[in-house]
Amino acid sequence: MIEKPITDYDEEVRNCSCSYCGNNCDDITYLLKDKKIVGVRHACRIGASKIINDQDQRLLSPLIRNEEGILEETTWDIALDMTAQLLYKSDRPVFYGWGETSVEAIKKGIKIAEKTGAVMDNQSTICHGSSIQAFQNVGHPVMTLGEVKNRADVIVYVGTNPMDDHPRHLSRYTTFPEGFFRKNGRKDRTIITIDPKYTNTAKVSDEWIQFNMNEDYLLFDALRMLLKGESLDDDEIAGVPISQLENLIKIMKNAEYGALFFGLGVSQTLGKQKNVDMLIQLVEDLNRYSKWSMLPMRGFFNVSGFNIALTSETGYPYGVDFSRGYPRFMVGETTTIDLLNRREPDFFMAISADPGVQFPGYTIKHLVDIPTIQIDTHWGPYTELSDIVLPSTRVGVETEGTAYRMDSIPLFMKKVIDKPENCHSDEWILTQLYERIEILKQEGDD
Amino acid sequence: MRIINLVMTKKSAISLEFDNILPELLFDKSVNEIRETVIYRGNKEEHLSQYFDVKIDGTCVDADNCTIVIEGDLSRVKRIGFAMTCGKIIADSDVDFHVGACMSGGQIIVNGDAESYAGREMTGGLLEIMGSVKEFCGSSYAGEWRGMSGGQIIVHKNAGKQLADYMMGGNIHIKGDCDILAGVHMSGGIIQIDGNVTQWLGGQMKKGMIILNGKIDKMLPGFVLEESVYHPFINGKYFIGKYKLYSGDKTVNGRGKIWIKE
Repeated sequence: MIEKPITDYDEEVRNCSCSYCGNNCDDITYLLKDKKIVGVRHACRIGASKIINDQDQRLLSPLIRNEEGILEETTWDIALDMTAQLLYKSDRPVFYGWGETSVEAIKKGIKIAEKTGAVMDNQSTICHGSSIQAFQNVGHPVMTLGEVKNRADVIVYVGTNPMDDHPRHLSRYTTFPEGFFRKNGRKDRTIITIDPKYTNTAKVSDEWIQFNMNEDYLLFDALRMLLKGESLDDDEIAGVPISQLENLIKIMKNAEYGALFFGLGVSQTLGKQKNVDMLIQLVEDLNRYSKWSMLPMRGFFNVSGFNIALTSETGYPYGVDFSRGYPRFMVGETTTIDLLNRREPDFFMAISADPGVQFPGYTIKHLVDIPTIQIDTHWGPYTELSDIVLPSTRVGVETEGTAYRMDSIPLFMKKVIDKPENCHSDEWILTQLYERIEILKQEGDD
Repeated sequence: MRIINLVMTKKSAISLEFDNILPELLFDKSVNEIRETVIYRGNKEEHLSQYFDVKIDGTCVDADNCTIVIEGDLSRVKRIGFAMTCGKIIADSDVDFHVGACMSGGQIIVNGDAESYAGREMTGGLLEIMGSVKEFCGSSYAGEWRGMSGGQIIVHKNAGKQLADYMMGGNIHIKGDCDILAGVHMSGGIIQIDGNVTQWLGGQMKKGMIILNGKIDKMLPGFVLEESVYHPFINGKYFIGKYKLYSGDKTVNGRGKIWIKE
């Protein structure tokens, strides 16, 4: 069914940033009527849905769970005081989320974590954390999406399906747009998808290379051997015929500018960090023949911003433990899922994230037993677990702020409409919390 | 010889951190001083006496002659023997993360399994684990490309993923099986594995040696079969049987050696 264009609006706000995925599309136009969003232009179907259905299941006032286990409305002062008390008393607090808030709020969060000796973690722990580890170990050749649009003639997607996850990635940056050196758009580009599954991205690609699941490391090792001109004894590697791999290497070597994007199909399959490590070095090897760069396909619109902000403050990208007064990072030890699995945290605060959706069942069980705080805009499974709910505002819609696109480009996100009356921005909530913690610390020291 | 006996009286759900429980720090301390030693629990500093009874037997003039025996359920006690330089520690059960990590001397015996990060970035001494170890044993810490560079690790059962990542020197002996990615980025040292290896042994290794007495499904494409040898003489001793010698990883122009028993 084709929907009719929206004509019943009285204001257009142009050049806004979308707050859905790591593409951070900054060409969005909001259509307003009586200061309410009634439509959106240029956004993908997922981004548009998120914007238009914004008021659905919206959290509109602070809530505290009463003795009967029911969430009931309360005042901001009571909710913030109680949160601060619980946090102050805790021995192993964990702050998780941050992928859908601004860098300004994240910096406030880091200050609270330092003050309270908490663990500061984000969604990287369940997605591209292993990629960032590999970047920190062996470096990686970076690029911006603008470079890709204007220069790239060979695009390779490995273990990712942007047609479904980042719907405008192909149309805005990589495949279809006209670029400065790619005047004919799609016709000037070769698109290759390497994935065990025949995804929607594979369908629009020039070539789909199917390999066996969990054999990424083996496949990339073989590609590096072929790139060096070595011959392989086998007829196929990871389920791919050698002739197909040789053809792939030929295309990659002859590229004028190659761009490789990879997703969780690489970073979360068997071998994890080492898959990315090997892939980075394949791209490094390719730079002996041509210009090649790579990027992870980041999910939430500011998940990359969290890693950048935390790395600039502590040197570590996620899962940072301040319990000893200085930052420490150990995968499996200071990362959220592992901490919950070991049933260590005695306070859990999720900020603009829903662990109820993202975490495995056995970790959720521990959340039921400890004080849990939610700072978020919408009702979700985690709300059902939360003891205190602090309703916040949406960055890029009701609050301005900074976010980093997947290629680490910072973008300012405008405020478009006023926030609901009894909601506050993440930054405001965290500032209030910090002030209360400082007072409790001073009282404790006295 | 002095023996300091620590017996757990209360278990903590949050891990205790034992950085300060080292022979070189405690060998000349009184019982009361040892009881007051700071240990870390979450974001709090606490005293050893809150969780352990302390007994001392004998005296010594230096830490080399001091042995710390830790008893009780130590599965939530981290950093036992972390950065240890001398003396001896005996942990009498399973232990938590970082046992023997960054140690440069002395001896640690674990009478059970060890969590991840055992012997990470170790430069000397002996770490002997009677059970199994989890991930990253003898490896480097995140962001570091220099793993274990000296000393010896003996594991009597199995080892988890990424054993000896970025290993530069020293000796690791795994008497059981080993999970994926052992010896990746290795540039020195010797690993001996008596059991089977899942896959991807020695990926991107530049130097060093791996001896596999068990089975491996498939070698990485970057390794080339050099020769087959009966009863090879490796690192000062004969290995009985027929062994294949691979060299690689050619993707990084590596000259590492992998001996695999046929």
